[in-house]
This record gives sequence, structure tokens and C-alpha cells, in this order.
Amino acid sequence: MSFFRVVKAELHKYYVQQFVSYRTAFWFLVLPFGNGLLYYSMYLPFTSTVVQFSWLGHNALVDIVGFTLLGQLLYTFFVGVTLAGSAFDTERVQGTFEAMLLTPASRVAILLGGLVVATAQYLWLIVGIIPVFLFYFHLGIAVADPLALLLSLFLTYTALTALGLCLEAFFIQTRKGILLGTTLQEPVALASGVIVPPSAYPTQIALLTYLIPLTLGLISVRLTLLAGGMLSEVLVPLATLAETIAKANGSLALF
Amino acid sequence: MSTPDVKTEKLVRVYESKKRRPIIGAPKITLVVAVDNLDLEIPQGELFGLLGPNGAGKTTTVKMLSTLLTPTSGRAWIRGLDVTRDSQKVRKIVNMVAGGERMLYYRLTGRENLNYFAELYDVPSSQVTRRVNDVLRRVGLEERADEEVEKYSKGMKQRLQIARGLINDPQVLFLDEPTIGLDVDIAKELRAFIRKQLVEEQGKTVLLTTHYLAEAEELCDRAAFIFKGKIAAQGSPSELSKLIVPRVTIELTIRGAAENEIRAFADHLGVKTISVESVEDDPSHFRKRAILDADSEEIIPRAFEYFHARGASVVSAGLRQPSLEDAYLKLAGK
Repeated sequence: MSFFRVVKAELHKYYVQQFVSYRTAFWFLVLPFGNGLLYYSMYLPFTSTVVQFSWLGHNALVDIVGFTLLGQLLYTFFVGVTLAGSAFDTERVQGTFEAMLLTPASRVAILLGGLVVATAQYLWLIVGIIPVFLFYFHLGIAVADPLALLLSLFLTYTALTALGLCLEAFFIQTRKGILLGTTLQEPVALASGVIVPPSAYPTQIALLTYLIPLTLGLISVRLTLLAGGMLSEVLVPLATLAETIAKANGSLALF
Repeated sequence: MSTPDVKTEKLVRVYESKKRRPIIGAPKITLVVAVDNLDLEIPQGELFGLLGPNGAGKTTTVKMLSTLLTPTSGRAWIRGLDVTRDSQKVRKIVNMVAGGERMLYYRLTGRENLNYFAELYDVPSSQVTRRVNDVLRRVGLEERADEEVEKYSKGMKQRLQIARGLINDPQVLFLDEPTIGLDVDIAKELRAFIRKQLVEEQGKTVLLTTHYLAEAEELCDRAAFIFKGKIAAQGSPSELSKLIVPRVTIELTIRGAAENEIRAFADHLGVKTISVESVEDDPSHFRKRAILDADSEEIIPRAFEYFHARGASVVSAGLRQPSLEDAYLKLAGK
């Protein structure tokens, strides 16, 4: 059984279904710009130029545009992987879910196909939105430890992907996927510092936000990409992300 | 003796039925036995009907056999492969078509739907186009293959479903109420397709669930009645009918005999008289129509002799064998 044939078939299916009209394609391409401006403007009441960023005793001042842009980047990815699972609800309603499960196709390939599609918007964010923001806002990048940056990016995306696959596997078992997927979005956006600076929270609540892989990923990527953070400064979040990946892979093996 | 294509042994499926409470309070959970110790054997190339009312356990049985549901207990095999332990292998050789307009992607074209499922069934890449064209031709959808499914009529959607069911060239096909909601002529066309193409030409084993008894009578080699998850009887449609309703209905038109003479004939043979009445278009009431309930058709020649000896004559004699519907109604206690 060709794993990638299934992923490709899923991609094609979702692509045809989602790009049914120019209107859909237009909003798909334009909405992320609007979201970017929204996240940026939500930070403005707190600061208009730089964000005071602290993590385990390390303090840094980070450019607000870069800070919110990275937040949008990773949050969109998180939402994409979360909603990928809830897409099974639609399949369930139209009866195609059963037709899909009747086939001998790899279940993980089906999940991965959905995940890749869900992050398509994310790809546009990278190739379409970031360059605009970089160019227009003269986004400042400060990388002092490239290895730390690479590790941060790799572990963050892997952890979010693994988490997304787990959520998809879970959503297959329930009929409340869309509800759960949507319910997760806002608290995570708030807690991870995407729309409000983490420093705005009381300490106890801020500590709770560290339970979310997205928060840890954002800390390490923001520190290493925008504030010249070194590996020693991001070891704790990276180790926690690695643990998340291991746990998620264990859960997927059960699926 | 060769291995049957479908076999079940004491197959059981129990559901948890949750009764919702308004807003607050845990739902009330009751256990429902959907399939209860089901034993079934379907040899290769047979068209077997599973008949019963709504909620009898037909679809649950099909779902267990097609690996969509895990049995609560008992076992089931498809061509010797256990549906639970060898589910991945079973999925390669079975497919299921359900009635209604589900199991299709409406925003994809008919061809795109089939291409998608061909990929999921791992049909060799070099054969996908040929296989898709072949099944489209077989269901008569070649010309509309590149239109979106949402533009299809109900009958076309059902035919596309059949095409989807054939895309992996399954050895065993489950048809779950395939003609439900279809126009009479489309349903008839579909039945002919199932019998001639799928079973007689391609030798596929088909398990058909339906509550249209005439459909089962027309199509099935053998059938089983299922009530509340249990098989009540099984055999060929005629065997089932005779087994459950062992009597025949005989209609005689007799000229020159009075009603009491006809009733006397019936009493003489120990046959139950259902009715005796004058033929409507005979104002002289010279001809009578008698409907008798008998063990067999043997009383017909005896009726000819009996009335001939008494100066009367049997003008016509008709025989109505019990149908599956009669058998069903009797089993259902209606």
C-alpha cells in the first residue's frame, strides 16, 4: 500500500473541494493579511514598537512586528492541524467517512493528508505574507545561534504536527470534532501570547500557559530568531517539546 | 467442501443507546442487542438476501462483515479471513454500497470520486484510468463522468455508488438497501444489473439487505429473515415461503354449481373455503368464483372431476403460491 498515494489523493480531494470558486480562493489568499494586521493591532494597546520578552530570567526587547508575525505563523499552523481533525465531522455527515474507512488505505496516511491540506493556508502565509511584512515593516532579525534556531523550528513544527495527528485520531472517535477544535482555538491564542503579551497575565496564569506546546514553541522561535537567543536559553522549552513529540508518537502507535 | 465466502458464527453486536437529558444530567444508557448470535454461510457466487424490518440488525451485520464495526462477540470470516484479525486483508476483497445519496463527494466529479477511491484501494497506477472508465461504462455514467456529483440525479448518484463499490473489483459485495428511494424503472434497471452483471457474469458474492420483499424474491438465490437481530428462517425464496406458509391459494371459476355445492366439495376434501361469490359480469349468477386454501394444487384436477360428475364444469383454475411477503407477514405476526 503506497502511503504517499493516499496522502496525494487526500490532497487532491481537499484541493478540489475547497477551491470551488474564485471567491473561495480570493478569501483564502486575502484573509491571512487581515489576520496579520489584527494580531498586530491587538498588541498596540500594550506597546507600539517593542515587546518586553522574558523567559526563565532572560529578558529581551523584541520588535513588535516580528513578534506578532511569528505568533500568527505558528498559531495558524496550530489552528490548521487542529481543524484538520474536525474535517472528519463533515466526512461523517456526508457518509464518505465510512467509505474511506472501508478501504485498506493507511489511516495515518489519511490523517497526514488532511493535515497537509489544513496547513495549505500556512504555506501561503510563508510565501505571501511574510515577505510583505518583512519588506514593509523592515522586520529586524537577530540570530546569534543558528543551531538553536533550527532546533527550535524543527521541534516546534514536529510537536505541533504530532499534536495535530493525535487530535485528528481523537476526533475520528467522536462526533464533536468541530466543537472541540473550535473551543481549543481561542484559549490557546490567548495563552500562547499570540494576541496578548504573556507579560500581561498574572504569574500563576502565565505559568499555566507553558503547558501548551505552542507557547513553548513560540518562546524558543521568538528568542532565537528575533532576540539573539542561545541554545542554553531555550533548552527547557525544547526539551519539553521533545517530550511532547514522544508522547504524541506513543499515542499514535495506539491508533 | 469449499470455504464459504461469508461465514458468521454466533455473531453479536451490542450498542449503547444514550437517551439525552435536557442540558443537565448524565444521559441514560441502555444496552441494545442489534445482532444476536447470528449464524450465516454464503457460498461463492451466491446472491444472498438479508430481509427484515427497519432496526432488525441488517445494516449492523453488513457493517461488521465489512470491518466498519467490531463484533461484541462471535466471529465472522470473509473467504476464510477473520474480519477482526485480518481486517486489512478483508478490506481489499470487499466493498459496500449503501442506499440513499451518501458516501460520495458532491463537489468532485464522478470520475474524481472514483479516482480518489482507486488510490485508496491501491489500484495499480497503470490501471486506474482503465478501471475507472470500465466501471463508469458498466453503470452507464461515461457521458456524465466529468460533471460534479451534486448535479447528478438520485439514480445517477446510486449508480455512481455502485461504481465506487466495484472500483477495487471486490470478490464480496455488500449492498445495503441499494434501491431505497429510487424510481421504479431505475430500481428495476439496478436489480437487473446486480443479478446479470455482478452475479451471473462476474461471479461475485453479493449480500443484499432490503425490506423490499419482491426485490429479494426476484434477485436472491437464498435469503434469511432477520428479526431483532436473530435469524428467524433461511432458504431459497420459494423454500422460505413454503416453509413458513405451507398452503396454496386456489381460485376456481365454476359454471352451473350452487354455492352450497361448492362448499360441499371443499368440505369433502377437507379444504378451507375462503370465499364463494358470483362472477360480477355474469348477471345470471350462473358462474361462481371460489377461493380455497389448500395444502397443494392437487385439488384442481379433482375439482374438474367432481363438478363434471354433477353436471357442472370448472371454467378456469388459478393457483397462487405463497410469496415472501406472506412468509414475512406470518413471521412478523401481522
